[in-house]
Amino acid sequence: MQASRARLFKEFKEVQRERSADPDIQLVCDDSNIFKWTALIKGPSETPYEGGVFQLAFAVPEQYPLQPPQVRFLTKIFHPNVHFKTGEICLDILKNAWSPAWTLQSVCRAIIALMAHPEPDSPLNCDSGNLLRSGDVRGYQSMARMYTRLAAMPKKG
Amino acid sequence: MEDKTMNLTTSVSSDSEEPNCCPICLGPMLQESYLDKCFHKFCFNCISRWTKVVTGKHHSPLSSVKCPLCKTENFSIIFGFDGSCFQRQYVNEDFEDSFILSRAHRYRLQCYYTEQGILDDIFNVSRYWKSHKHYQPNSWLQSWLKREIQALIQEEDVDIIVHHIVGVINASLTRREQNYLIKTPEKKQEEEFNMAVSEAARPFLGARTERLVYEVQLFLASGLNIEAYDAVYIQRLGWSSPGVNTQASHSEVLDRTTVIPYLYIFDEDSDANE
Repeated sequence: MQASRARLFKEFKEVQRERSADPDIQLVCDDSNIFKWTALIKGPSETPYEGGVFQLAFAVPEQYPLQPPQVRFLTKIFHPNVHFKTGEICLDILKNAWSPAWTLQSVCRAIIALMAHPEPDSPLNCDSGNLLRSGDVRGYQSMARMYTRLAAMPKKG
Repeated sequence: MEDKTMNLTTSVSSDSEEPNCCPICLGPMLQESYLDKCFHKFCFNCISRWTKVVTGKHHSPLSSVKCPLCKTENFSIIFGFDGSCFQRQYVNEDFEDSFILSRAHRYRLQCYYTEQGILDDIFNVSRYWKSHKHYQPNSWLQSWLKREIQALIQEEDVDIIVHHIVGVINASLTRREQNYLIKTPEKKQEEEFNMAVSEAARPFLGARTERLVYEVQLFLASGLNIEAYDAVYIQRLGWSSPGVNTQASHSEVLDRTTVIPYLYIFDEDSDANE
């Protein structure tokens, strides 16, 4: 068996076994393709994303884990390091700081950490980055909270 | 994006339940190997593939690789540890000592894998001490020892080590103070010689030290030059391969083979690819 498949299968089993270990992350593998995963992550508390559930899409390359998975937000999110239209994420460990010891699960945790600690100096969403860089934390927070309500929370009936 | 990383070690340990699984493939450890600075453990294939990926991304050759777990810079992968010996693969093999062993070096290395004493009936070490032959300078010692050290530590530039050990050998062979000569029996002289040379060589040769000291005495006791000594040794070893003749001992040009810088070569290996 190909190394990436074997490893993803290990991660799959691990996720099955520890389903309740991390209540903030729910990783699901595509039924027909082990290289496609989705994750539901909870917005960290005390951030404008609190209360929201965000969906991530993973595309795992054949060379995994020697190469990082490609991850993007499917749920709209207002965050300096996430592209507002495509959901692309700017995170060092998904690029040059990747290490094969990361797993899909730990990548999710890194993304949650990024949500709580944005890096406005390398923005993919300039509007959001500029608000933070100009010191308008309230402006950023209210925008982010609004989009969390609009996109990441169940519609109130 | 600047450092947005979490503590990798903890995040990984919770992902991998089995105590002895490789952090890269998450499977059971195959061919356990270690990085030389932080000593984190991986399958040999996993860590060496990762090293190739990392070095392949850079245009200039890298000499170190960050540990996937702790980011410590490491220069080599230690593997094949069997309790006394191990092998080592450098991150940048061109940069580190890819010293080419000649056939003569390989025959000498082979000697260290044969039982000590196969030549004791030809060259008598204790008679060498009794007869005070050690006062006669041996002009071949330096080049003989150079080849010996090169073969043992598999590096080409060993001049400093050789110079150091030859210095100790000569000093210890030629102690001529009146008192020392009269009062010290040959056996004692031999022991003191062993101690002094061992001490000089051990930092470089480790477990091979005792054998080297023995080989030095054997060579000195033979009173032969390198060519003649090799001829006798090779005949006794039964190393009849045609490449090893008296020529080979002098010119290292003949039939060179690149070796991965092992610390030790195993008996079976040295003859296998001939």
